[in-house]
Amino acid sequence: MKSELRFKLVVSIFTVATSMLGGYAVSETAPQNLASPESFASIADTDARSAAMFTELGKVLTHPRCTNCHPATDRPRQGDESRLHQPPVARGIDGHGLPAMRCSICHQNANFEPGRMPGHPEWHLAPREMAWEGKTVAEICTQLKDPARNGGRKPEDLIHHIGEDTLVGWAWAPGAGRSPAPGTQKQAGALVEAWVKTGAACPAQ
Amino acid sequence: MRPSRREFVKWVSASGIALSLSRLGSAEAAGLPPRASLPGREGWNPAANGAGRIDGVAKVTGAKLYASDFRASDLPGWPQSTSHAILVRAPDATHVYVGMDLARLSGALKPSVVVTAADLDKIGTRVPAFYTGDLFCPVGKTPIYMGQPVALLIFETFDTFDRARLALRYGTFVKFGEETGPVAIPNYGAYRFTRVAGATPDAPDVYSPVQAGWVSPGRSQISPLPVWSPLAKDTPAPYSKAAVHGEQIRSELAAKNSNLLMLDREFETQSVDPMFLEPEAGLAWYNSKSESLELVLGVQSPYEAAESIEHMLGKASAPFKPARINAQFTYVGGGFGGRDHTPFVLYVALAAMFFPGRPVRLAHDRYQQFQAGIKRHPFKMRSRIGVDRSTGKITAFAADHVLDGGGLANFSVNVATVAATAAIGIYDIPKVDVTTVVVHSRGVTAGSMRGYGTLQSMTALEVLIDEVAAALPLDPIEFRRRNALKPDGRTMCGNRYSVSVRTTEMLDKLEKHPIWQQRAQQKSAARPGTLVGTGLACVTKDYGAGADCSLGRVELSAEGKITIYCDHVEMGNGIGTALANRVAIHLGVVADEVSVARVDSYDVLGLVTSGDPYMMDQKTQDRAEKDPRWVPAISTATSASVGAHVGTHSAAEAARVIFRFGLWPAALELWNIAPNDPRAKDWAKAQWKDGQLVMSGLAALPLSALAAKAYARNLVTGAMAHSFSRWEWSRARFPFNGEQYRAEIDALAVRKGNGKFARIDRVSVRFPPAVNNQSGNTYTSMCGTLVRVEIERATGVLRIAKAYNVFECGRALVPEVVLGQAQGGFAMGVGYALLENLPPYEGGPGNGQWNLGQYLVARGSDLPLRDLEIEVLPPLTPDEPPKGMAEVVMVPVVPAILNAIFDATGRRFQSLPVTASLLKGVLA
Amino acid sequence: MTRLSITINGRAHGPTDVRDDLSMNDFLREYLGMTGTKFGCGAGQCLSCAVIVDNPDGTSFTSPTCVVSAVSFDGKVIRTVEGHAKNGELTTLQKAFIEHFSFQCGYCTAGFLNEGQVLLERLAKAPVARAELEKTIAEALDGHICRCTGYIKYHEAVRDVILADSKRYLVANQ
Repeated sequence: MKSELRFKLVVSIFTVATSMLGGYAVSETAPQNLASPESFASIADTDARSAAMFTELGKVLTHPRCTNCHPATDRPRQGDESRLHQPPVARGIDGHGLPAMRCSICHQNANFEPGRMPGHPEWHLAPREMAWEGKTVAEICTQLKDPARNGGRKPEDLIHHIGEDTLVGWAWAPGAGRSPAPGTQKQAGALVEAWVKTGAACPAQ
Repeated sequence: MRPSRREFVKWVSASGIALSLSRLGSAEAAGLPPRASLPGREGWNPAANGAGRIDGVAKVTGAKLYASDFRASDLPGWPQSTSHAILVRAPDATHVYVGMDLARLSGALKPSVVVTAADLDKIGTRVPAFYTGDLFCPVGKTPIYMGQPVALLIFETFDTFDRARLALRYGTFVKFGEETGPVAIPNYGAYRFTRVAGATPDAPDVYSPVQAGWVSPGRSQISPLPVWSPLAKDTPAPYSKAAVHGEQIRSELAAKNSNLLMLDREFETQSVDPMFLEPEAGLAWYNSKSESLELVLGVQSPYEAAESIEHMLGKASAPFKPARINAQFTYVGGGFGGRDHTPFVLYVALAAMFFPGRPVRLAHDRYQQFQAGIKRHPFKMRSRIGVDRSTGKITAFAADHVLDGGGLANFSVNVATVAATAAIGIYDIPKVDVTTVVVHSRGVTAGSMRGYGTLQSMTALEVLIDEVAAALPLDPIEFRRRNALKPDGRTMCGNRYSVSVRTTEMLDKLEKHPIWQQRAQQKSAARPGTLVGTGLACVTKDYGAGADCSLGRVELSAEGKITIYCDHVEMGNGIGTALANRVAIHLGVVADEVSVARVDSYDVLGLVTSGDPYMMDQKTQDRAEKDPRWVPAISTATSASVGAHVGTHSAAEAARVIFRFGLWPAALELWNIAPNDPRAKDWAKAQWKDGQLVMSGLAALPLSALAAKAYARNLVTGAMAHSFSRWEWSRARFPFNGEQYRAEIDALAVRKGNGKFARIDRVSVRFPPAVNNQSGNTYTSMCGTLVRVEIERATGVLRIAKAYNVFECGRALVPEVVLGQAQGGFAMGVGYALLENLPPYEGGPGNGQWNLGQYLVARGSDLPLRDLEIEVLPPLTPDEPPKGMAEVVMVPVVPAILNAIFDATGRRFQSLPVTASLLKGVLA
Repeated sequence: MTRLSITINGRAHGPTDVRDDLSMNDFLREYLGMTGTKFGCGAGQCLSCAVIVDNPDGTSFTSPTCVVSAVSFDGKVIRTVEGHAKNGELTTLQKAFIEHFSFQCGYCTAGFLNEGQVLLERLAKAPVARAELEKTIAEALDGHICRCTGYIKYHEAVRDVILADSKRYLVANQ
């Protein structure tokens, strides 16, 4: 084998990376919309309609803005890539962090743009049993209806939690460098309400 | 202007700019606060009793030490307020740059000054050859790399700057037009290192780089890669000779031979950032009245920084050409190579020149540091190794390296050649053929970083060696032992090491260590769901760059207090403390003041230089050295693990002169020993003990008494020296008190009593021969690592359960710092092997959006903090000179981890880093 | 602009008007010239910029300064690296850092010092069992990045200070 040939292989590897890694590490993707409850009116079967609305809501629930702080482990995730939180932090006893590092030290009352720091007065992790990270929309749906895994809420309570809670609402105003959850909080609340009123059916999977 | 009482390096450059690396008359008061330049001056000097670093108090009390700490108001004589600059960079290098969206900075956010390529054209700046490429990308051109600057924006007040930087942060401030693809630039360099040993170990080599010189192939017109074939058109004759041998080695490896085990493997390494914790920063003020450019900088290469700025402005039109440049250098918050020859300083100087009268600060934030700081080269390597199955001896090795140098050449060629000449590590292989080429790309510029290419090439090698041992099969330590280069053997360049070679000792240590002994037992005892594996690696890494020098000045007061000045930089390596300890060997007491990064203070030596110390031929050197003030280089960077060996050498030699011609004659007088008494020549027999000079049968003399006597008798109380090393020291003779004093220095000045320093012209000198330039390393240190890992099957999470690192470094000047360097090297090795990764181009750090959330360095929780054992072999002789160790300690950590992963999983990873998700993927 | 009053190392500053978008790190470094508090990442990830915040109830915690506003510190009492030594006398922890050669370049030292000091004060109020000590130190220091040393000598210094006064910091043996 002639020496030159060897290098063709090597050079081609150099160019692959280009096509694979488009865009910026921190990217704000175009905001996604949420369909309104009315747009599901054509589905005659109530359960099917209810499940379809939940599937739509699933765009919100599986969004990094939600799953990052509903993590599968004791450590939250960060950013649109849902990387593990840096510095390493853990939920602690009350979901507000360990004694040496409480959430509220950095995450203060509101976003602080110069420091790219998101904030809210109640910033904390969802309890362990409410972990959504890595789950399917159907799994989250079952979980949401289970009072043991939804903070003891009835389905009706979820209308308020998702539609009006201000910490949840942060997901739609997360500050620069983070893409907001799809649609608006109001639209998400409307979907929850319609879902509950149609019997809170879950998608098959 | 009246010079200060301090001497200083001052010379008028070819361009007519007076360049001074310290305080001119009016600026005498404008020096850094004494505390910053002279830690140790505080009441408690922790180094005095070996209880800490000489800069310890300054660092735990938050003293202003680093370039990023200083503002104009901290510097006496400067205007009070500081302006701030932003260096705007291109996040794209495949589209035409069409300008900035300056409308975004209207009203209160408007910059006072905008500097672009057009402005530099107008005033006639020059780009130093080392940084060839546009300082700013001109409008209408495609940036040659991601992160290439497009403009400097200067804001008068901090508040304007602070708000403006927020407005620039995201998206589209830098505007691009048509897509052009990346700019094609020829490769930075290509070399072939081929050696064919003689038939017996004693026979001369048939062919070697030392005999034949280093060879490069011809360039191809159509490809960034060279033409390696010996037969191609336009192939240079010297290259062709190496290539014929090389192709012969390759065909032997490819031939069918049942007694030959041949492995052919690829290995790939990633781009990483040195991630020193202090982002680059600088402060500059152009005083238009005195036409003086004042700078405060923190770099590993102070002398080079000042010269590059001088070159840049040397032909500029008025009023952009200063009459003088006065640079002051600070401590640095980590370096690891990334602050050696950084273009950042050029922009600091430009900011001041374009906003005359106002001190301007330029400082990277971490995003910008990722976007523009010097990176480690990613490598693609292909290696072939042939082993005689019956003897277990390696018969031949061939490798091809392709390095991505990123946007500017910087140290790319040097990194490539150091990596290539380290490609066979600790082994003795009779036939070796290594090609290397370093290409330009649109990635962020790569340059010097701890390990300097050997981390990459020896990781590939030690992983391959592990595989060979398994395939033979032969115990991995036995296989290494059989093939280890003997102390008098020849390296792949064809030269011999001139320092201790202790590979066998190292391998013995590794073999006997419990981590190795218990490897099978630990593996079988793995907890359910966990895989356990043990790996080892052993390497050797050169230290010194082939043209290293230092300046040292030692002064003794009449009370016996010692002050040391040195041109090398404190970047955490403990150079100040090492200086104090090494000088104490000769003067008995740890210094009270150590001033580092001082390129001034040696004016009286009157040093001159010419030519390139790396490339110079013997005739030129012979001609030049006739001038007794000529040296091959005046001051070089703190890099290449030279701190202990080179950085402290000149001060130690100066201290030796003080002892020999100051303290020793003072002692003789105090002991009433006449000059003609035979004991008068017994200076080598005297010893220091607890600050007192001890000689058997005579009264112990405290340093203070000796100093007082030296002053009273007008003996030597101060000395300054310059030394140069090209894998061996320059040596010279100096006429002194009627004798010829010989030392491993090439310039000397002394002070007697309270007098002034006076130069003693050397009467003969022997500089290390120019041929050493092509020898590759002859100074080398060895290190071996054992690692035991535990990998959780379900998650791929890897934990280093135990590790052992053994190395040698001659005489350790500050054992605690040596230990700390080894612990830090281990941590950096873990990061490189398992965590750190920068995508090369789009999506990579050149986009200006990277920080420590994405880029993971090892934290405490990633390391075996209580299970890392470090062993430093004692020096072979008590006076063995210190050897560089700060790089080598990192290298074997990486292949040892990979070999442990193989032992645990049966999987050989051929690229880095091996992340938890990759491990999870293969274990699923 | 918001009015800011703050006590730093026992000295009152302000009231002074500061921009709402000014970071605490810039307030310390650019407005007060107190550069002992470092700037490392600007993202709250390396904690070289951490200072100690003293609560009115006598407890304390460390806070990064780069990702939070200066005005959020209104009315607060903080300590920085410049304030540990009193009248030139170093604290036990400062001395331990020096004697253990804990740092090399020293750029992360202020953060480790503040974190270690808060840990000592916390343990003095709420001692832990010896068996919990390693984990306690590791958790406390893990947020801090050091690129030079490999962390070992920082951990050793903190551990040694605690063990040297174990009656104060550790739960007595059962």
